[in-house]
Amino acid sequence: MKLRRTRLYIPGNNPHLVENAGLYGADAVILDLEDSVPITQKFDARILVKYSLQNVNFGVSEKWVRINGIGTPYWKKDLEEILPYCDVINLPKVESLDDVDTADQEMSLIEDKNGIEPRKLVPIIETVKGLKNAREIATHPRVVALAWGGEDLTADLGIPRKKALILDYVRAEIVLAAKAEKKQALDTVFSDVRDMDALYQYAQRARYMGFDGIGVIHPNQIEVVHRAFRPTEEEIEEARKIIEAAKEAEREGKAVISLNGRMIDPPVVERARKILALAEVD
Amino acid sequence: MVEAGTHEKGDVFVSIEDGKREVIIKSKLERLYGEAIRDTVEELTRGIEAKIIVEDSGALDWVLRARLEAAIRKYGGEKV
Repeated sequence: MKLRRTRLYIPGNNPHLVENAGLYGADAVILDLEDSVPITQKFDARILVKYSLQNVNFGVSEKWVRINGIGTPYWKKDLEEILPYCDVINLPKVESLDDVDTADQEMSLIEDKNGIEPRKLVPIIETVKGLKNAREIATHPRVVALAWGGEDLTADLGIPRKKALILDYVRAEIVLAAKAEKKQALDTVFSDVRDMDALYQYAQRARYMGFDGIGVIHPNQIEVVHRAFRPTEEEIEEARKIIEAAKEAEREGKAVISLNGRMIDPPVVERARKILALAEVD
Repeated sequence: MVEAGTHEKGDVFVSIEDGKREVIIKSKLERLYGEAIRDTVEELTRGIEAKIIVEDSGALDWVLRARLEAAIRKYGGEKV
């Protein structure tokens, strides 16, 4: 499965930032056509993003575009212009499976017209209704991950974000909805770009909550988040022992894997494999 | 008149207005890149009978092309 520990947001109408976006080694770069682009610049930004996808070297980063939501007059134009050149569409304010179907149908039309492979979709859950329907939204075959947005969601609830007590529940729900469908779960951004210790704690907490990555808004955040998502030495050591025990059981034709007198279930072996794979990155 | 782009670093501002064909290019790097900018502008705006002003703030060629396309399409009537 593709690593998506970091996705770096870049305002889509700023050529200087777009040009450099691939230099920092984020797992994904999101060229934004939504909130960071004023209405008067939507047209220009869409064309700039199209050209950048064709001309800029984004390095190892997967190329995402956050288009405008399906309740706006822009989203179809966004897709028409940029879909052939990006890897993933990030769709904001998704509230139902119908919303995903609507986007999916439009994407299929453009893909057929251009003779290209189906692009992936990552819906952003940022309303109460969207949260309620997250489990259904995650079932769509085009969806590879669920992301969520805190500002809009707390605004929808009418509570200040910094004091919101519901956010751990929201996070758990996003993780459960995504993981039940074997999709990735992506946490929202950490907005204080100066406090790297707090960012590390935030990212590590996201990892232990079950998320596969978080959003980043500054290149300096990338290395810290990648470090936070790296398994600890203890976890790596434990995983190595489990894999060794599994290999030994296989060699000896045993149906049951045991380590230090403890029975190891298949999901534990699978988790150990994931930990070692994650540890080998970078 | 239509406009595209900005005056920010690494960008270029393009305006097109009705009138006799005229291409005006302003760039701080005119001595180095003036000719290349003019070639791209002439190539993309060929046949457009209008006054075209390009104010460059150090844009790369792909940025210039994107801003010209945006301005030309808006001049042609596209809105959303």
